Amino acid sequence: MGELLQYLVTGVGIGCAYALTGSGLVVIYRVTRVVNFAQGSFAVLAALTVTTLLAAGLPHGLAEALAVLVAALTGLIAGAVATGKPGTTPQAGLIITLGLGVFAYAVEILLWGDQPRSFAGVPGSIDGIQKHYLLIIAVTAVVLGATALLFARTDLGRALTATAADPYAARIVGINVLRMGLFAFALGGALGGLAGVLITPVQQVSFDSDVALVVSGFSAAILGNLTRPGLTLAGGLLLGVVQALVGGYLSTAYQSEVALIFMLVVLVARAGRREVLEAA
Amino acid sequence: MKWAYLGGALIVAAVPLILTPGQLTTFVLLGLSAMTVVGLSLLMGYAGQVSLGQAAFTAIGAYTCGLLALHHTPPLLALLAAPLAAAAAAVLVGVPILRLRGHQLAFATLALQLILLSVLGDADWAGGAVGLQGLPYLSIGGFELDEDIHYAYVVLVLIALVSLIAYRLVRSRVGRGLRALATGEAAAEASGVPVGAYRLLVFGVSAAFAGLAGGIYSFFLGYLAPGSFPVLLSVEYVVMAVVGGLGSIAGALLGATLITVVVQLLTTLATQPGMPSYAPSVLSYAVYALLLIAVVLFVPKGIVPTLRRSS
Repeated sequence: MGELLQYLVTGVGIGCAYALTGSGLVVIYRVTRVVNFAQGSFAVLAALTVTTLLAAGLPHGLAEALAVLVAALTGLIAGAVATGKPGTTPQAGLIITLGLGVFAYAVEILLWGDQPRSFAGVPGSIDGIQKHYLLIIAVTAVVLGATALLFARTDLGRALTATAADPYAARIVGINVLRMGLFAFALGGALGGLAGVLITPVQQVSFDSDVALVVSGFSAAILGNLTRPGLTLAGGLLLGVVQALVGGYLSTAYQSEVALIFMLVVLVARAGRREVLEAA
Repeated sequence: MKWAYLGGALIVAAVPLILTPGQLTTFVLLGLSAMTVVGLSLLMGYAGQVSLGQAAFTAIGAYTCGLLALHHTPPLLALLAAPLAAAAAAVLVGVPILRLRGHQLAFATLALQLILLSVLGDADWAGGAVGLQGLPYLSIGGFELDEDIHYAYVVLVLIALVSLIAYRLVRSRVGRGLRALATGEAAAEASGVPVGAYRLLVFGVSAAFAGLAGGIYSFFLGYLAPGSFPVLLSVEYVVMAVVGGLGSIAGALLGATLITVVVQLLTTLATQPGMPSYAPSVLSYAVYALLLIAVVLFVPKGIVPTLRRSS
Protein backbone atom coordinates (compact mmCIF):
# COMPACT_ATOMS: atom_id res chain seq x y z
CA MET A 1 0.00 0.00 0.00
CA GLY A 2 2.80 2.37 0.98
CA GLU A 3 4.51 1.49 -2.28
CA LEU A 4 1.40 2.23 -4.33
CA LEU A 5 0.89 5.59 -2.61
CA GLN A 6 4.52 6.43 -3.29
CA TYR A 7 4.12 5.67 -7.00
CA LEU A 8 0.90 7.67 -7.15
CA VAL A 9 2.43 10.79 -5.58
CA THR A 10 5.57 10.55 -7.71
CA GLY A 11 3.42 10.06 -10.79
CA VAL A 12 1.19 13.02 -10.01
CA GLY A 13 4.29 15.15 -9.35
CA ILE A 14 5.92 14.29 -12.67
CA GLY A 15 2.51 14.55 -14.35
CA CYS A 16 2.24 18.13 -13.07
CA ALA A 17 5.39 18.99 -15.01
CA TYR A 18 3.85 17.44 -18.14
CA ALA A 19 0.64 19.37 -17.52
CA LEU A 20 2.54 22.66 -17.15
CA THR A 21 4.51 22.02 -20.35
CA GLY A 22 1.32 20.98 -22.12
CA SER A 23 -0.57 24.04 -20.84
CA GLY A 24 2.17 26.23 -22.28
CA LEU A 25 1.66 24.52 -25.65
CA VAL A 26 -2.11 25.03 -25.34
CA VAL A 27 -1.88 28.74 -24.46
CA ILE A 28 0.40 29.39 -27.43
CA TYR A 29 -1.53 27.18 -29.86
CA ARG A 30 -4.92 28.64 -29.00
CA VAL A 31 -3.85 32.22 -29.61
CA THR A 32 -1.35 31.82 -32.47
CA ARG A 33 -2.15 28.36 -33.99
CA VAL A 34 1.57 27.64 -33.74
CA VAL A 35 2.59 24.34 -32.16
CA ASN A 36 5.66 25.47 -30.28
CA PHE A 37 8.30 22.80 -30.71
CA ALA A 38 10.69 24.77 -28.50
CA GLN A 39 8.39 24.33 -25.47
CA GLY A 40 10.78 21.84 -23.85
CA SER A 41 13.69 24.25 -24.30
CA PHE A 42 12.05 26.79 -21.97
CA ALA A 43 12.11 24.18 -19.20
CA VAL A 44 15.73 23.23 -19.84
CA LEU A 45 16.85 26.85 -20.06
CA ALA A 46 15.10 27.80 -16.81
CA ALA A 47 16.48 24.78 -14.96
CA LEU A 48 20.03 25.49 -16.09
CA THR A 49 19.63 29.16 -15.16
CA VAL A 50 18.66 28.11 -11.62
CA THR A 51 21.88 26.10 -11.26
CA THR A 52 23.89 29.21 -12.14
CA LEU A 53 21.92 31.56 -9.90
CA LEU A 54 22.17 29.18 -6.93
CA ALA A 55 25.91 28.85 -7.51
CA ALA A 56 26.12 32.65 -7.48
CA GLY A 57 24.69 32.62 -3.96
CA LEU A 58 21.06 33.57 -4.57
CA PRO A 59 18.59 31.98 -2.15
CA HIS A 60 16.09 29.31 -3.21
CA GLY A 61 12.82 30.85 -4.30
CA LEU A 62 14.41 33.97 -5.75
CA ALA A 63 16.63 31.94 -8.06
CA GLU A 64 13.66 29.88 -9.27
CA ALA A 65 11.48 32.98 -9.77
CA LEU A 66 14.19 34.76 -11.77
CA ALA A 67 14.68 31.65 -13.92
CA VAL A 68 10.96 31.53 -14.73
CA LEU A 69 11.20 35.19 -15.71
CA VAL A 70 14.12 34.36 -18.01
CA ALA A 71 11.99 31.61 -19.57
CA ALA A 72 9.11 34.06 -20.09
CA LEU A 73 11.47 36.50 -21.78
CA THR A 74 12.82 33.68 -23.96
CA GLY A 75 9.24 32.82 -24.84
CA LEU A 76 8.64 36.40 -25.88
CA ILE A 77 11.69 36.35 -28.16
CA ALA A 78 10.66 32.97 -29.58
CA GLY A 79 7.20 34.39 -30.29
CA ALA A 80 8.64 37.44 -32.00
CA VAL A 81 10.75 35.26 -34.30
CA ALA A 82 8.03 32.69 -34.99
CA THR A 83 5.06 35.04 -35.48
CA GLY A 84 6.51 38.55 -35.77
CA LYS A 85 7.01 38.66 -39.54
CA PRO A 86 3.66 39.35 -41.25
CA GLY A 87 2.41 36.47 -43.36
CA THR A 88 4.21 33.72 -41.42
CA THR A 89 1.87 30.72 -41.46
CA PRO A 90 1.44 28.48 -38.40
CA GLN A 91 3.12 25.66 -40.36
CA ALA A 92 6.15 27.87 -40.95
CA GLY A 93 5.94 28.80 -37.26
CA LEU A 94 6.29 25.11 -36.30
CA ILE A 95 9.44 24.76 -38.41
CA ILE A 96 10.83 28.01 -36.98
CA THR A 97 10.28 26.84 -33.39
CA LEU A 98 12.03 23.60 -34.35
CA GLY A 99 14.98 25.77 -35.40
CA LEU A 100 14.76 27.76 -32.16
CA GLY A 101 14.92 24.51 -30.18
CA VAL A 102 18.14 23.57 -31.97
CA PHE A 103 19.49 27.08 -31.44
CA ALA A 104 18.82 26.66 -27.71
CA TYR A 105 21.17 23.63 -27.80
CA ALA A 106 23.98 25.88 -29.04
CA VAL A 107 23.35 28.47 -26.31
CA GLU A 108 22.97 25.89 -23.55
CA ILE A 109 26.15 23.98 -24.43
CA LEU A 110 28.04 27.25 -24.73
CA LEU A 111 26.93 28.43 -21.28
CA TRP A 112 26.53 25.20 -19.29
CA GLY A 113 28.30 22.40 -21.17
CA ASP A 114 26.73 19.12 -22.25
CA GLN A 115 26.68 17.26 -18.91
CA PRO A 116 23.40 16.72 -17.00
CA ARG A 117 22.80 19.09 -14.09
CA SER A 118 20.53 19.25 -11.11
CA PHE A 119 20.02 21.21 -7.90
CA ALA A 120 18.56 20.51 -4.49
CA GLY A 121 14.81 20.78 -3.95
CA VAL A 122 12.82 20.60 -0.74
CA PRO A 123 14.71 18.17 1.51
CA GLY A 124 13.24 15.36 3.55
CA SER A 125 10.46 12.84 3.03
CA ILE A 126 7.27 11.62 4.68
CA ASP A 127 6.59 7.86 4.57
CA GLY A 128 9.11 7.42 1.77
CA ILE A 129 7.58 10.21 -0.30
CA GLN A 130 9.97 13.04 -1.09
CA LYS A 131 8.50 16.33 0.13
CA HIS A 132 9.57 17.98 -3.08
CA TYR A 133 6.80 16.16 -5.00
CA LEU A 134 4.25 17.77 -2.70
CA LEU A 135 5.75 21.18 -3.53
CA ILE A 136 5.47 20.44 -7.27
CA ILE A 137 1.81 19.50 -6.87
CA ALA A 138 0.97 22.56 -4.74
CA VAL A 139 2.72 25.06 -7.02
CA THR A 140 1.15 23.54 -10.14
CA ALA A 141 -2.33 23.70 -8.61
CA VAL A 142 -1.88 27.38 -7.69
CA VAL A 143 -0.35 28.39 -11.04
CA LEU A 144 -2.83 26.55 -13.26
CA GLY A 145 -5.67 27.91 -11.09
CA ALA A 146 -4.32 31.45 -11.52
CA THR A 147 -3.96 30.93 -15.28
CA ALA A 148 -7.58 29.76 -15.48
CA LEU A 149 -8.66 32.88 -13.55
CA LEU A 150 -6.58 35.07 -15.85
CA PHE A 151 -8.40 33.70 -18.89
CA ALA A 152 -11.84 33.76 -17.31
CA ARG A 153 -11.87 36.97 -15.26
CA THR A 154 -9.54 39.60 -16.69
CA ASP A 155 -9.76 41.83 -19.76
CA LEU A 156 -6.40 40.52 -20.93
CA GLY A 157 -7.64 36.95 -20.65
CA ARG A 158 -10.83 37.76 -22.55
CA ALA A 159 -8.79 39.47 -25.27
CA LEU A 160 -6.62 36.34 -25.51
CA THR A 161 -9.69 34.12 -25.75
CA ALA A 162 -11.20 36.42 -28.38
CA THR A 163 -8.02 36.20 -30.43
CA ALA A 164 -8.09 32.44 -30.12
CA ALA A 165 -11.71 32.27 -31.26
CA ASP A 166 -11.48 34.62 -34.23
CA PRO A 167 -8.36 36.71 -34.91
CA TYR A 168 -10.11 38.77 -37.59
CA ALA A 169 -13.05 39.76 -35.42
CA ALA A 170 -10.68 40.42 -32.52
CA ARG A 171 -8.73 42.85 -34.67
CA ILE A 172 -11.92 44.66 -35.65
CA VAL A 173 -12.84 45.35 -32.03
CA GLY A 174 -9.40 46.81 -31.43
CA ILE A 175 -7.39 43.94 -30.00
CA ASN A 176 -3.76 43.89 -31.07
CA VAL A 177 -3.58 40.30 -32.29
CA LEU A 178 0.18 40.23 -32.69
CA ARG A 179 0.69 41.52 -29.15
CA MET A 180 -1.72 38.89 -27.82
CA GLY A 181 0.33 36.22 -29.62
CA LEU A 182 3.52 37.53 -28.05
CA PHE A 183 1.88 37.57 -24.63
CA ALA A 184 0.76 33.98 -25.16
CA PHE A 185 4.33 32.99 -26.03
CA ALA A 186 5.66 34.74 -22.90
CA LEU A 187 3.06 32.98 -20.73
CA GLY A 188 3.85 29.68 -22.45
CA GLY A 189 7.54 30.30 -21.79
CA ALA A 190 6.87 30.95 -18.10
CA LEU A 191 4.76 27.78 -17.76
CA GLY A 192 7.44 25.72 -19.52
CA GLY A 193 10.15 27.31 -17.39
CA LEU A 194 8.21 26.54 -14.23
CA ALA A 195 7.93 22.90 -15.27
CA GLY A 196 11.71 22.72 -15.68
CA VAL A 197 12.42 24.49 -12.40
CA LEU A 198 10.05 22.21 -10.45
CA ILE A 199 11.11 18.89 -11.95
CA THR A 200 14.90 19.28 -12.02
CA PRO A 201 15.53 18.46 -8.31
CA VAL A 202 13.96 15.02 -8.88
CA GLN A 203 15.07 14.48 -12.50
CA GLN A 204 18.41 15.63 -13.87
CA VAL A 205 18.27 17.91 -16.88
CA SER A 206 20.67 18.25 -19.79
CA PHE A 207 20.56 20.32 -22.95
CA ASP A 208 18.74 17.63 -24.93
CA SER A 209 16.09 16.83 -22.29
CA ASP A 210 13.77 19.14 -24.23
CA VAL A 211 12.64 16.46 -26.71
CA ALA A 212 11.31 14.15 -24.00
CA LEU A 213 9.61 17.09 -22.27
CA VAL A 214 7.94 18.57 -25.34
CA VAL A 215 6.77 15.12 -26.43
CA SER A 216 5.29 14.44 -22.98
CA GLY A 217 3.68 17.90 -22.91
CA PHE A 218 2.25 17.37 -26.38
CA SER A 219 0.93 13.94 -25.35
CA ALA A 220 -0.80 15.55 -22.36
CA ALA A 221 -2.27 18.37 -24.46
CA ILE A 222 -3.38 16.21 -27.39
CA LEU A 223 -6.09 14.65 -25.24
CA GLY A 224 -7.81 18.06 -25.38
CA ASN A 225 -6.82 18.59 -29.02
CA LEU A 226 -4.29 21.26 -27.92
CA THR A 227 -7.11 23.65 -26.99
CA ARG A 228 -8.61 22.40 -23.70
CA PRO A 229 -6.64 23.33 -20.55
CA GLY A 230 -8.67 21.04 -18.28
CA LEU A 231 -8.11 17.96 -20.40
CA THR A 232 -4.43 18.87 -20.67
CA LEU A 233 -4.12 18.77 -16.89
CA ALA A 234 -5.98 15.45 -16.81
CA GLY A 235 -3.78 14.09 -19.60
CA GLY A 236 -0.58 15.15 -17.85
CA LEU A 237 -1.58 13.58 -14.53
CA LEU A 238 -2.75 10.40 -16.25
CA LEU A 239 0.56 10.06 -18.11
CA GLY A 240 2.62 10.74 -15.01
CA VAL A 241 0.75 8.18 -12.91
CA VAL A 242 0.75 5.48 -15.61
CA GLN A 243 4.48 6.03 -16.15
CA ALA A 244 5.18 5.75 -12.44
CA LEU A 245 3.11 2.55 -12.18
CA VAL A 246 4.75 1.02 -15.26
CA GLY A 247 8.17 1.98 -13.93
CA GLY A 248 7.37 0.62 -10.47
CA TYR A 249 5.62 -2.65 -11.25
CA LEU A 250 6.88 -3.62 -14.72
CA SER A 251 10.16 -2.12 -15.83
CA THR A 252 11.67 1.35 -16.11
CA ALA A 253 12.70 0.39 -19.65
CA TYR A 254 9.12 0.82 -20.86
CA GLN A 255 8.53 4.12 -19.03
CA SER A 256 9.39 6.45 -21.89
CA GLU A 257 7.16 4.58 -24.33
CA VAL A 258 4.03 5.24 -22.28
CA ALA A 259 3.64 8.86 -23.37
CA LEU A 260 4.62 8.08 -26.96
CA ILE A 261 2.16 5.23 -27.42
CA PHE A 262 -0.57 7.18 -25.63
CA MET A 263 -0.02 10.08 -28.05
CA LEU A 264 -0.13 7.85 -31.13
CA VAL A 265 -3.30 6.10 -29.98
CA VAL A 266 -5.11 9.38 -29.25
CA LEU A 267 -4.00 10.94 -32.55
CA VAL A 268 -4.97 7.96 -34.68
CA ALA A 269 -8.25 7.40 -32.86
CA ARG A 270 -9.19 11.04 -33.28
CA ALA A 271 -8.25 11.07 -36.98
CA GLY A 272 -10.42 8.01 -37.51
CA ARG A 273 -13.36 9.67 -35.78
CA ARG A 274 -12.88 12.87 -37.77
CA GLU A 275 -13.05 10.92 -41.01
CA VAL A 276 -16.28 9.28 -39.93
CA LEU A 277 -17.69 12.70 -39.05
CA GLU A 278 -16.61 14.15 -42.38
CA ALA A 279 -18.11 11.26 -44.27
CA ALA A 280 -21.42 11.58 -42.43
CA MET B 1 20.23 22.59 -70.35
CA LYS B 2 20.90 18.86 -70.79
CA TRP B 3 24.58 19.61 -71.46
CA ALA B 4 24.78 21.67 -68.30
CA TYR B 5 23.52 18.72 -66.26
CA LEU B 6 25.98 16.37 -67.97
CA GLY B 7 28.86 18.78 -67.36
CA GLY B 8 27.84 19.15 -63.73
CA ALA B 9 27.64 15.38 -63.31
CA LEU B 10 31.13 14.95 -64.80
CA ILE B 11 32.59 17.56 -62.45
CA VAL B 12 30.94 15.92 -59.43
CA ALA B 13 32.23 12.53 -60.60
CA ALA B 14 35.78 13.90 -60.58
CA VAL B 15 35.48 15.36 -57.06
CA PRO B 16 36.30 12.14 -55.09
CA LEU B 17 39.63 11.88 -56.94
CA ILE B 18 40.95 15.11 -55.45
CA LEU B 19 39.65 14.77 -51.88
CA THR B 20 41.82 13.93 -48.87
CA PRO B 21 40.85 10.76 -46.90
CA GLY B 22 39.04 12.81 -44.24
CA GLN B 23 37.11 14.78 -46.84
CA LEU B 24 36.22 11.55 -48.62
CA THR B 25 34.44 10.30 -45.49
CA THR B 26 32.47 13.53 -45.36
CA PHE B 27 31.68 13.16 -49.07
CA VAL B 28 30.21 9.69 -48.57
CA LEU B 29 28.16 10.76 -45.55
CA LEU B 30 26.98 13.81 -47.48
CA GLY B 31 25.88 11.55 -50.31
CA LEU B 32 23.92 9.36 -47.91
CA SER B 33 22.17 12.43 -46.46
CA ALA B 34 21.40 13.66 -49.97
CA MET B 35 19.78 10.32 -50.84
CA THR B 36 17.53 10.53 -47.79
CA VAL B 37 16.73 14.20 -48.34
CA VAL B 38 15.60 13.62 -51.95
CA GLY B 39 12.91 11.34 -50.55
CA LEU B 40 12.01 13.64 -47.66
CA SER B 41 11.78 16.65 -49.96
CA LEU B 42 9.40 14.69 -52.18
CA LEU B 43 7.30 13.75 -49.17
CA MET B 44 7.19 17.27 -47.72
CA GLY B 45 6.85 19.10 -51.02
CA TYR B 46 4.39 16.88 -52.90
CA ALA B 47 2.51 15.02 -50.23
CA GLY B 48 2.63 18.02 -47.86
CA GLN B 49 3.69 15.86 -44.92
CA VAL B 50 6.29 16.85 -42.35
CA SER B 51 8.23 13.84 -41.11
CA LEU B 52 10.36 14.45 -38.02
CA GLY B 53 11.27 10.77 -37.88
CA GLN B 54 12.94 10.15 -41.23
CA ALA B 55 16.12 8.93 -39.54
CA ALA B 56 14.03 6.03 -38.19
CA PHE B 57 13.89 4.63 -41.72
CA THR B 58 17.64 5.12 -42.11
CA ALA B 59 18.02 3.13 -38.90
CA ILE B 60 15.68 0.38 -40.12
CA GLY B 61 17.65 0.09 -43.37
CA ALA B 62 20.98 0.08 -41.56
CA TYR B 63 19.95 -2.52 -38.97
CA THR B 64 18.29 -4.76 -41.59
CA CYS B 65 21.44 -4.66 -43.66
CA GLY B 66 23.76 -5.06 -40.68
CA LEU B 67 21.87 -7.99 -39.15
CA LEU B 68 21.60 -9.82 -42.47
CA ALA B 69 25.29 -9.25 -43.24
CA LEU B 70 26.29 -10.54 -39.79
CA HIS B 71 24.22 -13.66 -40.41
CA HIS B 72 26.16 -14.42 -43.58
CA THR B 73 23.71 -13.15 -46.14
CA PRO B 74 25.49 -12.08 -49.34
CA PRO B 75 26.17 -8.33 -48.88
CA LEU B 76 24.42 -7.29 -52.08
CA LEU B 77 21.29 -9.14 -51.03
CA ALA B 78 21.47 -7.51 -47.58
CA LEU B 79 21.77 -4.09 -49.21
CA LEU B 80 18.76 -4.83 -51.39
CA ALA B 81 16.76 -5.77 -48.31
CA ALA B 82 17.48 -2.41 -46.61
CA PRO B 83 15.19 -0.18 -48.73
CA LEU B 84 12.57 -2.94 -48.89
CA ALA B 85 12.42 -3.29 -45.11
CA ALA B 86 12.25 0.50 -44.64
CA ALA B 87 9.47 0.83 -47.24
CA ALA B 88 7.55 -2.05 -45.69
CA ALA B 89 7.79 -0.42 -42.26
CA ALA B 90 6.64 2.90 -43.74
CA VAL B 91 3.60 1.33 -45.40
CA LEU B 92 2.76 -0.53 -42.20
CA VAL B 93 2.80 2.57 -39.97
CA GLY B 94 1.65 4.82 -42.81
CA VAL B 95 -1.83 3.31 -42.99
CA PRO B 96 -2.85 4.66 -39.58
CA ILE B 97 -0.63 7.75 -39.24
CA LEU B 98 -0.90 9.28 -42.71
CA ARG B 99 -4.44 10.31 -41.83
CA LEU B 100 -2.80 12.91 -39.59
CA ARG B 101 -1.85 16.36 -40.81
CA GLY B 102 0.72 19.05 -40.09
CA HIS B 103 1.95 19.15 -36.52
CA GLN B 104 0.13 15.93 -35.63
CA LEU B 105 2.06 13.93 -38.21
CA ALA B 106 5.29 15.68 -37.19
CA PHE B 107 4.84 14.56 -33.59
CA ALA B 108 3.63 11.09 -34.58
CA THR B 109 6.70 10.43 -36.74
CA LEU B 110 8.93 11.80 -33.98
CA ALA B 111 7.22 9.48 -31.50
CA LEU B 112 7.76 6.49 -33.80
CA GLN B 113 11.46 7.24 -34.05
CA LEU B 114 11.79 7.58 -30.27
CA ILE B 115 9.99 4.25 -29.81
CA LEU B 116 12.24 2.57 -32.39
CA LEU B 117 15.41 3.91 -30.73
CA SER B 118 14.19 2.77 -27.33
CA VAL B 119 13.32 -0.70 -28.66
CA LEU B 120 16.70 -1.04 -30.42
CA GLY B 121 18.48 0.10 -27.26
CA ASP B 122 16.82 -2.68 -25.25
CA ALA B 123 16.98 -5.41 -27.90
CA ASP B 124 19.60 -8.10 -27.29
CA TRP B 125 19.27 -9.38 -30.86
CA ALA B 126 20.31 -5.93 -32.12
CA GLY B 127 23.21 -5.56 -29.71
CA GLY B 128 21.35 -3.20 -27.35
CA ALA B 129 22.88 0.19 -26.71
CA VAL B 130 26.27 -1.03 -27.97
CA GLY B 131 24.79 -1.95 -31.35
CA LEU B 132 26.28 -4.09 -34.09
CA GLN B 133 30.01 -4.27 -34.67
CA GLY B 134 32.40 -5.89 -37.09
CA LEU B 135 30.13 -5.61 -40.11
CA PRO B 136 31.74 -6.84 -43.34
CA TYR B 137 32.48 -4.61 -46.32
CA LEU B 138 30.10 -4.48 -49.23
CA SER B 139 31.18 -6.76 -52.05
CA ILE B 140 29.83 -6.90 -55.56
CA GLY B 141 30.48 -10.08 -57.55
CA GLY B 142 33.49 -11.08 -55.46
CA PHE B 143 35.03 -7.60 -55.55
CA GLU B 144 35.28 -6.26 -52.01
CA LEU B 145 34.74 -2.52 -51.59
CA ASP B 146 37.22 -1.81 -48.84
CA GLU B 147 38.29 1.74 -49.64
CA ASP B 148 36.44 5.00 -49.05
CA ILE B 149 36.68 6.00 -52.70
CA HIS B 150 34.75 2.86 -53.72
CA TYR B 151 31.90 3.97 -51.49
CA ALA B 152 32.10 7.50 -52.91
CA TYR B 153 31.31 6.14 -56.36
CA VAL B 154 28.68 3.68 -55.14
CA VAL B 155 26.98 6.62 -53.43
CA LEU B 156 27.18 8.78 -56.57
CA VAL B 157 25.59 6.04 -58.67
CA LEU B 158 22.86 5.51 -56.11
CA ILE B 159 22.13 9.25 -55.87
CA ALA B 160 21.69 9.29 -59.64
CA LEU B 161 19.35 6.29 -59.37
CA VAL B 162 17.34 7.79 -56.51
CA SER B 163 17.04 11.15 -58.31
CA LEU B 164 15.92 9.39 -61.49
CA ILE B 165 13.23 7.46 -59.61
CA ALA B 166 12.07 10.66 -57.90
CA TYR B 167 12.03 12.50 -61.25
CA ARG B 168 10.00 9.77 -62.97
CA LEU B 169 7.60 9.68 -60.04
CA VAL B 170 7.05 13.45 -60.14
CA ARG B 171 6.49 13.40 -63.90
CA SER B 172 4.11 10.47 -63.82
CA ARG B 173 0.39 10.29 -63.27
CA VAL B 174 1.16 9.91 -59.57
CA GLY B 175 3.17 13.15 -59.60
CA ARG B 176 0.37 15.09 -61.27
CA GLY B 177 -2.10 13.66 -58.79
CA LEU B 178 0.15 14.68 -55.91
CA ARG B 179 0.49 18.22 -57.23
CA ALA B 180 -3.27 18.46 -57.41
CA LEU B 181 -3.39 17.06 -53.90
CA ALA B 182 -0.97 19.67 -52.57
CA THR B 183 -3.04 22.54 -53.92
CA GLY B 184 -6.48 21.28 -52.94
CA GLU B 185 -7.14 17.97 -51.30
CA ALA B 186 -10.91 17.97 -51.66
CA ALA B 187 -10.71 18.98 -55.32
CA ALA B 188 -8.12 16.30 -56.05
CA GLU B 189 -10.19 13.67 -54.32
CA ALA B 190 -13.32 14.75 -56.18
CA SER B 191 -11.42 14.45 -59.47
CA GLY B 192 -10.67 10.83 -58.72
CA VAL B 193 -7.12 11.09 -57.37
CA PRO B 194 -6.62 8.20 -54.93
CA VAL B 195 -5.34 10.56 -52.25
CA GLY B 196 -4.58 8.03 -49.54
CA ALA B 197 -2.82 5.55 -51.82
CA TYR B 198 -0.59 8.21 -53.40
CA ARG B 199 0.39 9.61 -50.00
CA LEU B 200 1.29 6.13 -48.85
CA LEU B 201 3.29 5.55 -52.02
CA VAL B 202 5.40 8.68 -51.52
CA PHE B 203 5.87 7.85 -47.84
CA GLY B 204 7.06 4.36 -48.81
CA VAL B 205 9.39 5.66 -51.54
CA SER B 206 10.94 8.27 -49.23
CA ALA B 207 11.44 5.59 -46.58
CA ALA B 208 13.06 3.30 -49.18
CA PHE B 209 15.58 6.03 -50.07
CA ALA B 210 16.38 6.55 -46.40
CA GLY B 211 16.69 2.78 -45.90
CA LEU B 212 19.06 2.47 -48.87
CA ALA B 213 21.25 5.20 -47.38
CA GLY B 214 21.18 3.34 -44.07
CA GLY B 215 22.28 0.11 -45.77
CA ILE B 216 25.31 1.76 -47.35
CA TYR B 217 26.03 3.45 -44.02
CA SER B 218 26.28 0.11 -42.24
CA PHE B 219 28.80 -1.25 -44.78
CA PHE B 220 30.76 1.99 -44.91
CA LEU B 221 31.25 2.50 -41.16
CA GLY B 222 31.18 -1.17 -40.11
CA TYR B 223 29.31 -0.52 -36.87
CA LEU B 224 25.83 0.63 -35.85
CA ALA B 225 24.26 1.80 -32.62
CA PRO B 226 20.91 3.39 -31.74
CA GLY B 227 22.93 6.55 -31.02
CA SER B 228 23.93 6.71 -34.72
CA PHE B 229 20.37 7.77 -35.57
CA PRO B 230 19.33 10.47 -33.09
CA VAL B 231 16.29 12.70 -33.44
CA LEU B 232 18.70 15.44 -34.38
CA LEU B 233 19.56 13.51 -37.56
CA SER B 234 15.89 13.69 -38.58
CA VAL B 235 15.95 17.42 -37.85
CA GLU B 236 19.09 17.75 -39.98
CA TYR B 237 17.28 16.11 -42.90
CA VAL B 238 14.37 18.53 -42.51
CA VAL B 239 16.78 21.49 -42.43
CA MET B 240 18.47 20.28 -45.62
CA ALA B 241 15.15 19.74 -47.41
CA VAL B 242 13.70 23.11 -46.37
CA VAL B 243 16.86 25.09 -47.16
CA GLY B 244 17.23 23.55 -50.63
CA GLY B 245 13.55 23.86 -51.46
CA LEU B 246 10.76 21.37 -50.83
CA GLY B 247 9.65 19.23 -53.75
CA SER B 248 12.79 19.98 -55.74
CA ILE B 249 15.30 17.19 -56.42
CA ALA B 250 18.08 19.67 -57.23
CA GLY B 251 17.08 21.56 -54.08
CA ALA B 252 17.47 18.44 -51.96
CA LEU B 253 20.94 17.78 -53.37
CA LEU B 254 21.95 21.41 -52.94
CA GLY B 255 20.51 21.63 -49.42
CA ALA B 256 22.38 18.52 -48.28
CA THR B 257 25.61 19.74 -49.87
CA LEU B 258 25.36 23.29 -48.56
CA ILE B 259 24.61 22.30 -44.97
CA THR B 260 27.25 19.56 -44.88
CA VAL B 261 29.96 21.77 -46.37
CA VAL B 262 29.19 24.73 -44.07
CA VAL B 263 29.08 22.53 -40.96
CA GLN B 264 32.28 20.77 -42.02
CA LEU B 265 34.09 24.08 -42.59
CA LEU B 266 33.01 25.36 -39.19
CA THR B 267 34.01 22.08 -37.53
CA THR B 268 37.46 22.36 -39.08
CA LEU B 269 37.64 25.90 -37.76
CA ALA B 270 36.35 24.89 -34.34
CA THR B 271 38.84 22.04 -33.88
CA GLN B 272 41.83 24.33 -34.37
CA PRO B 273 44.15 24.38 -31.36
CA GLY B 274 43.00 26.84 -28.73
CA MET B 275 39.30 26.42 -29.43
CA PRO B 276 37.22 25.02 -26.57
CA SER B 277 36.09 21.39 -26.85
CA TYR B 278 32.44 22.31 -27.15
CA ALA B 279 33.01 24.64 -30.13
CA PRO B 280 32.17 22.14 -32.93
CA SER B 281 28.78 21.15 -31.50
CA VAL B 282 27.84 24.73 -30.61
CA LEU B 283 28.71 25.97 -34.08
CA SER B 284 26.94 23.17 -35.93
CA TYR B 285 23.74 23.53 -33.87
CA ALA B 286 23.82 27.28 -34.46
CA VAL B 287 24.26 26.79 -38.21
CA TYR B 288 21.35 24.33 -38.50
CA ALA B 289 19.13 26.63 -36.47
CA LEU B 290 19.99 29.94 -38.08
CA LEU B 291 19.91 28.62 -41.67
CA LEU B 292 16.56 26.93 -41.06
CA ILE B 293 14.98 30.02 -39.49
CA ALA B 294 16.43 32.43 -42.05
CA VAL B 295 15.24 30.34 -45.00
CA VAL B 296 11.73 29.81 -43.60
CA LEU B 297 11.37 33.55 -42.95
CA PHE B 298 13.05 35.07 -45.97
CA VAL B 299 13.22 32.37 -48.71
CA PRO B 300 10.10 30.37 -47.85
CA LYS B 301 10.17 28.34 -51.08
CA GLY B 302 13.79 27.33 -50.53
CA ILE B 303 16.90 28.24 -52.51
CA VAL B 304 16.51 26.29 -55.76
CA PRO B 305 12.82 27.06 -56.53
CA THR B 306 13.46 30.75 -55.74
CA LEU B 307 16.45 30.91 -58.08
CA ARG B 308 14.48 29.12 -60.83
CA ARG B 309 11.61 31.58 -60.60
CA SER B 310 13.80 34.67 -60.69
CA SER B 311 15.94 33.50 -63.64
